[in-house]
Amino acid sequence: MKANNKHAAANDRHVITAQMLDKTFLAEVMKMKGGQDVQDCIQCGVCAGSCFASWAMDFTPMQIVRMLHLGMKETVLSSSTIWVCASCYTCATRCPRGLDIPMIMSGLKNIAIKENIPAKIQIKPKFHKSFADIVQKYGRIHEPELFLKISNKTAPKTMMQDAVFGLTLLRKGKLKLKAPKVEQKAQWSSLFKNASKEGAQ
Amino acid sequence: MKYAYFPGCSIHTTAREYGVSSQAVSKVLGIELVEIPDWNCCGAMDAVYAYNPLLSISLSARNLALAEKMKMDIVTLCSACFFTLSRANKLLHEDSELKGKVDKLLTESGLQYSGEVKVRHYLDVLLNDVGLENISKNVKVKLDGLKVAPYYGCMLIRPPNVVNFDDPEHPTSLDKIVEAIGGKNVDYMYKTRCCGASLGLTEADVMMGMTKDLLLEAKNSNADCIVVPCPLCHLNMDAKQKSIESTFDVKIGIPIVFFTQLMGVAFGISPKELALDKNCVSTDKLFKQLHA
Repeated sequence: MKANNKHAAANDRHVITAQMLDKTFLAEVMKMKGGQDVQDCIQCGVCAGSCFASWAMDFTPMQIVRMLHLGMKETVLSSSTIWVCASCYTCATRCPRGLDIPMIMSGLKNIAIKENIPAKIQIKPKFHKSFADIVQKYGRIHEPELFLKISNKTAPKTMMQDAVFGLTLLRKGKLKLKAPKVEQKAQWSSLFKNASKEGAQ
Repeated sequence: MKYAYFPGCSIHTTAREYGVSSQAVSKVLGIELVEIPDWNCCGAMDAVYAYNPLLSISLSARNLALAEKMKMDIVTLCSACFFTLSRANKLLHEDSELKGKVDKLLTESGLQYSGEVKVRHYLDVLLNDVGLENISKNVKVKLDGLKVAPYYGCMLIRPPNVVNFDDPEHPTSLDKIVEAIGGKNVDYMYKTRCCGASLGLTEADVMMGMTKDLLLEAKNSNADCIVVPCPLCHLNMDAKQKSIESTFDVKIGIPIVFFTQLMGVAFGISPKELALDKNCVSTDKLFKQLHA
């Protein structure tokens, strides 16, 4: 598949220039949950060899960690890797140095979202924001609304697939059109609002 | 046996058959699942965490606080909820600064959580509270000859420092359940391999590539069906199976059943009570050979 091309592209980018390095980035990463251990990595490659999604990434998790050491902020945050990671935790389970790589990837997504960095998987930042918005409204996820919000309306092929998928679920009675509802409305709103605000700082 | 039941969002929607069949099986085994009143989204692993880490932990914390009021441990069916709630619980225990922040947020909303609740997966309850012997005792229909591929996926077993009741590399809990109800486990390679999870919504080609591999591996090991413990794995493997077949031009056609549905069949519970008609890949042929 197209994965081969992605890898080829990654291999072409082997020259690191001073402009690619951000001296403050490593410190920023080390403040994130999971990031505190990032310098313990010995580049053994177990994460890269264990990752089931690496074929769809432009850099392996091992390469990402090394780039964090070097401060290659832009390269890391504009990589597809951080968005393709499905948090399956195979890498972290096997890491001999105990790095929580999926949590690091989540932290990197968080920085990319906050700094509005265009994502290789375009829809991803919107997915995370829409998910949170819907949960804020109803207390739980409401699938039809999520599907509609993130369906790619500019790609006919995926739109068709999404429509077929949605119809399959509807026919089976597995999509509720009526949204869920949180009972303790005031308690819920205040917790969500305050946590969002505090966490965004 | 009474537990604070945390269904998770998908149990009432895309994984209805899981919720329904678990209730039916629980009734037989004397397990009481008391739904946590007004529970909310667990924080959904990475979905909310990547958007706002503290918000994700706080969403989990509200559920933990609600369960603590009930003075019961949380039991959930969903592997992702199991992980998300367990992770929040662990972080709140280990990180006093985080605990302070979350406590303040909870207090402002009239809630409190002191940290007494344990988070468990339903499978853990079956194995360690109910016991395999009691499960075997209730078998009424022989599953003779049914070849089952147990699929564990990720969050039920990994990472072991967060969720810890089975081996992360060589898990056996589902195999034991299948054996206890008279099924035959097939050995296949990809039982702990990731299905692609929520990539199904945002990068469907990648998810389908990942799921296709494990479906074919199970199929080629001559399994009659795959049993799963997770709503999202089920959605990707069952509801998306047709799309996977057409995308990769392969024929798969393997039923994906929740382990609770298979238990229900062995217990002689009616197909309707197990919502067997809700599975997208038909289970008719699979279970017809049994009832015959």
